[in-house]
Amino acid sequence: MASAMTAPGSVLKRKDSMASAPVREGDQLIVTPLGAGNEVGRSCVYMSYRGKTVLFDCGIHPAYSGMAALPYFDEIDPSTIDVLLVTHFHLDHAASLPYFLEKTTFKGRVFMTHATKAIYKLLLSDYVKVSKVSVEDMLYDEQDILRSMDKIEVIDFHQTLEVNGIRFWCYTAGHVLGAAMFMVDIAGVRILYTGDYSREEDRHLRAAEIPQFSPDICIIESTYGVQLHQPRVIREKRFTDVIHSTISQGGRVLIPAFALGRAQELLLILDEYWSNHPELHNIPIYYASPLAKRCMAVYQTYINAMNERIRNQFANSNPFDFKYISPLKSIENFDDIGPSVVMASPSGLQSGLSRQLFDKWCSDKKNACVIPGYVVEGTLAKTIINEPKEVTLMNGLTAPLNMQVYYISFSAHADFAQTSAFLNELMPPNIILVHGEANEMGRLKQKLITQFSDKNTKILSPKNCQSVEMYFTSEKMAKTIGRLADKTPEVGETVSGLLVKKGFTYQIMAPDDLHVFSQLSTANITQRISIPYSGAFSVIKHRLKQIYESVEAPIEEPDVPTLIVHDRVTIRQESENYLTMRWSSDPIGDMVSDSVVAVILNISREGPKVTAVAEVEKTQEETAKMAHKVVYSLLVSLFGDVKVVEEGKLIVTVDGNVARLDEKNGEVECDNDSLKERVKTAFHRIQSAVRPIPLSAA
Amino acid sequence: MGTSVQMTPLCGVYSENPLCYLLSIDGFNFLMDCGWNDLFDPNLLQPLSRVSSKVDAVLLSHPDILHLGALPYAMKHLGLTAPVYATEPVYRLGLLTMYDHYLSRRECSDFDLFSLDDIDAVFQNVTRLTYSQNYHLTDKGEGIVIAPHVAGHLLGGTVWKITKDGEDVIYAVDFNHRKERHLNGTVLESFVRPAVLITDAFNALNNQLYKRQRDQEFIDAILKALNADGNVLLPVDTAGRALELILILEHYWSQQHLSFPIYFLTNVATSTIDYVKSFLEWMSDSIAKSFEHTRDNAFLLRHVNLIINRDEFEKTAEIPKVVLASMDSLEVGFSHDIFVEWATDARNLVLFTQKGQFGTLARMLQVDPPPKAVKVTLSKRVPLVGDELIAYEEEQNRIKKEAALKASLSREEELKASHGSDTNAPDPMEVDASTSYVSSGSGLRSAGHLDVFIDGFTPSTSVFPMFPFFETTAEWDDYGEVINPDDYIIKEEDRDQASMQGDLDIKIEEGSARLLLDLTPSKVASTELTVQVKCGLTYMDFEGRSDGRSVKSIIAHVAPLKLVLVHGSAEATEHLKQHCAKHVCPHVYAPQIEETIDVTSDLCAYKVQLSERLMSNVLLKKLGDYEIAWVDGEVGKTDDMLTLLPLPSAPLPHKSVLIGDLKLADFKQFLASQGVQVEFAAGALRCGEHITLRKISDASQKGGSGPQQILIEGPLTEEYYKIRKYLYSQFYLL
Repeated sequence: MASAMTAPGSVLKRKDSMASAPVREGDQLIVTPLGAGNEVGRSCVYMSYRGKTVLFDCGIHPAYSGMAALPYFDEIDPSTIDVLLVTHFHLDHAASLPYFLEKTTFKGRVFMTHATKAIYKLLLSDYVKVSKVSVEDMLYDEQDILRSMDKIEVIDFHQTLEVNGIRFWCYTAGHVLGAAMFMVDIAGVRILYTGDYSREEDRHLRAAEIPQFSPDICIIESTYGVQLHQPRVIREKRFTDVIHSTISQGGRVLIPAFALGRAQELLLILDEYWSNHPELHNIPIYYASPLAKRCMAVYQTYINAMNERIRNQFANSNPFDFKYISPLKSIENFDDIGPSVVMASPSGLQSGLSRQLFDKWCSDKKNACVIPGYVVEGTLAKTIINEPKEVTLMNGLTAPLNMQVYYISFSAHADFAQTSAFLNELMPPNIILVHGEANEMGRLKQKLITQFSDKNTKILSPKNCQSVEMYFTSEKMAKTIGRLADKTPEVGETVSGLLVKKGFTYQIMAPDDLHVFSQLSTANITQRISIPYSGAFSVIKHRLKQIYESVEAPIEEPDVPTLIVHDRVTIRQESENYLTMRWSSDPIGDMVSDSVVAVILNISREGPKVTAVAEVEKTQEETAKMAHKVVYSLLVSLFGDVKVVEEGKLIVTVDGNVARLDEKNGEVECDNDSLKERVKTAFHRIQSAVRPIPLSAA
Repeated sequence: MGTSVQMTPLCGVYSENPLCYLLSIDGFNFLMDCGWNDLFDPNLLQPLSRVSSKVDAVLLSHPDILHLGALPYAMKHLGLTAPVYATEPVYRLGLLTMYDHYLSRRECSDFDLFSLDDIDAVFQNVTRLTYSQNYHLTDKGEGIVIAPHVAGHLLGGTVWKITKDGEDVIYAVDFNHRKERHLNGTVLESFVRPAVLITDAFNALNNQLYKRQRDQEFIDAILKALNADGNVLLPVDTAGRALELILILEHYWSQQHLSFPIYFLTNVATSTIDYVKSFLEWMSDSIAKSFEHTRDNAFLLRHVNLIINRDEFEKTAEIPKVVLASMDSLEVGFSHDIFVEWATDARNLVLFTQKGQFGTLARMLQVDPPPKAVKVTLSKRVPLVGDELIAYEEEQNRIKKEAALKASLSREEELKASHGSDTNAPDPMEVDASTSYVSSGSGLRSAGHLDVFIDGFTPSTSVFPMFPFFETTAEWDDYGEVINPDDYIIKEEDRDQASMQGDLDIKIEEGSARLLLDLTPSKVASTELTVQVKCGLTYMDFEGRSDGRSVKSIIAHVAPLKLVLVHGSAEATEHLKQHCAKHVCPHVYAPQIEETIDVTSDLCAYKVQLSERLMSNVLLKKLGDYEIAWVDGEVGKTDDMLTLLPLPSAPLPHKSVLIGDLKLADFKQFLASQGVQVEFAAGALRCGEHITLRKISDASQKGGSGPQQILIEGPLTEEYYKIRKYLYSQFYLL
């Protein structure tokens, strides 16, 4: 005979219980920088809470090459990451993405803004081409980038998405076109990751927004530490003055700038300056990056991610259609005959066109080099800021550094004033500093600690791979709905129903309401089985009565002989040759029906031998005694030292703790709470095992 | 208790009239859309005028006249002042649509229901949101979250989700589940079991052809006319479905290297395309993808020429061409003029891509069989010349005079009145009046003011016959002269006006600029004429709305607890109502205009905290997106919160619950894969030799009554238990 109801979920159940186990410890939130911890470059921050895992950014370190430039991916299991959020297109935030998507076990989802995605492709293709010159071990190729494009999904500013119970949305960050700050909400705990941000509106970008909700944790950049920027107007004036004076003395100006982002801002400044100074019109400005032309379409299209100024200008003409600036393909096409302004990448002067021009111009003191943004530790640009006497050229020779070097920062990172005001506004209880050089970050940390000394704010600056652990006890709230909630229960009443969890929301409902409030539906299975039987119906009745307490004929007289066993199983004699049995599926019903089938089959086999046998009535007392014995021996097997004191009283001793158990009502007296609970639970379980299964289920 | 939800249609139920509904959620009144028709009939707005002052927020769903046309009029004349919410494209294209309508109207009539400034003023007021942005309302709407979601149909088209206390009200009209060239399909299907769904019955009775087939027929029809030396006119909307048609034409023209010119002719065509080019984020994935990969903007048009005025169009070569011209109703605009010109030539084709609005010329031409001739009014604005100009100037002068006279008279009256009761201290109002009187009187010695003298001397009842003289009495108190702060306030309006002017960042093209700035007196010359309709007339459905069958299945999938049907002909509404009541949910409403229905969900709910001790004993089973378990708990209380604690004693056994949705077809496949002989017979599944499995009542009654009923029957055999085992494996037992 087939066993009743092989629980279909039995295997699943075990697996699930394992899977749900970490949820218990899920109150722990872990943040681990895999890059950009006490350094600038290879931004990558890992975060996990309640079994959900988010990775912010996926950059490379511009000062290193090959595998060394990657964040410490081997610290984590990429396959566990649910969502990867990329804040903007800069290499130190996005350039290890093709590697991570194509060469690791990562199988989650990746999001970035529209503009970021469009530029990401251009920038990385360029990066791959450029690094061909200098790097032997390529991390990925053009094809990997193209494949990664298919996996990247887009998100618009303020758009709220939910993946796997993780809700997230992004705010304008003001750093470059498409730059975003991500807010992630997991089970009510909010984490803000600023990426690179700037609270200052410039020529084309909006300032970073202040989120309307305060996050529980703010992971914030600290590039500029405690430094303060000069006002934008002054910086712009210095910039244009330096350029103007250099070219009027017949010198050449080199601006090593990152191909995209700030470069566009500088070009807007230069173009405007030139149009206001007709005397400069014969001095050429070159933008020596093929990316310039290619990215222009992107800048023209995503005007909705820019500020009102640009949007208003757009109505008349395209502000990115420069009048005085022309593109320069390569150094071969460059006719170096007189004063000129050349903006070239890379910004660190590691290699490429900016380096070629630098090598060419560095020994003439008429020339100038304007470094317009943050320079990463370990690059030549960083070295020349300190104005050394000599520099090493690309060909290995040394040359005197005579050209003027100016450092005028236009990089749209927040300075201390902005950071401090931003945090003051948000008041996050936990601040994690990333993306800053160690000393700078240390100073910022000290200053912030003083600033928030009376607020109980935790300020942390973990190193790479150093985990920060925090605990959030978010209470689980459930909403009881539908029939179960007809009235709000009083204290002490019981609530019994289905707990349905979706994402991080819980609902309690009656089984009948399940299909109303969720996409799940319930079913009733009615079974009808026909059994060959040609004996007398009364025999069955007799035999069943021996087994079951309740064997009734239906109240209204049916046309054929009928019996109902325990209100569950209906047996009808349809004809002389067979019976039908009908019941509705559930474990008890199936069990009863199985035994009924067994009885009927036995009768058929045994035939007329059946006679009424005098029943041996077991006395109540004997049953009780039996039960008592069983309970006692089971308790002994569980706890060891169990003594019977008097009728129905037991004493359990474990490690010197004594528990008194009253067998009648299950009351336990014990000073030790955990023992009390354990004895109590054990006793309840034994009780339910020893006693017959109640047939009258709800 | 659930959130109280009431809904009152103000326009657009049991008909194809514009959409405008009042939706009130816990006392906060949303105006869902504010549409008007192409005829701008103020009568339609009667119901709106009665409630407009109560509106707290306006949500717009599509950038066309039917969804936002009445906004300028309502803001100007009906006292609507609420903030407006829309997506960026709805804002921008809506603005352009209104401009186009205004300019077209202005070209052929003395249209004065609203002006360009009114349009600008309204759109100043719009808060722009992005898709799936959860916008938290403040003040009166505290606790309400609104979020626009993709609707398809038009660029920026919105399905609004309004959430309060976890209950969703979804407003989804004119959605399209199909992905199109420039738009993604709606995400409506991703919403499950909202408390209320408000949707339209517009297409309940229509079914569409397959897209590919339809596109092919469309192109074939156009090419046929062109090859026969005819012109093709596509009456289109300003910035809505036109975009899709442009892409289709662009695609076929480049694919087949066609050289027939295509013109897109609206008053704002160039601006429209310029802006559309920057809305790639809002378009379909494929457009976004092609831009990301190749930086090819789909709206960088290669074959379609943009034209914004008639003169320029007249200059185009006399060869067969395709013209997309606004308006789609053929009532006014370029399409109207071109139709009149082309209708008489049998070679030409007028291809309608949308069902015309009721009562418009387009609708008249779409009947089958088409009318042989139609009466049209051909109107044109012409500058006044000769006698007319003189007459006009005289008239203007007369009007000026009269106005001045009236003004002075009323001032006189005022003075009389105030002096009549001169025991009253003169109020500031009067001071104002007197100063202005003095200044104007001294500045211009016009005829009107001479009248005043005469008038002043005529004996009247309450005033002595004397020269009207009055003291400018100033009131003094302990601190000196009493001043009226209002006199010193810079008029807010003036500033608004100024800023508005500055913000008018739309390129008003020369054509419209001429019209705007043209102060030379002009008049509208109308001629009634009967046009013999000889040209070909065809209607093809490019409306971009889900068809009847899809609408039904989408509604069934969304399975709202309550459903409200609006916008659709009476038959369509009734049909969909019947259908949904039978198959989707028992609560289907289709209210009449100004009939308020209460769709408050009769949901009861309360919140409890799940205690850690309880949860540590609960094992959740995973079922798709859900995790589910049976809980028994005792209610406790900690700081005013109900908490669910574990029961002190063993819980009573509960009735077991089978969870799952059995599809017989799927089960059949499953059985077959398990090597069981299986076939459908008379609505039941015959498994093996003798076992039959049937569903007693159909389970598609989602919102309907209770669980699925499945009956399995057969003789007592091994096979029976085997099948039963398979059947059980389709369910989860709790």
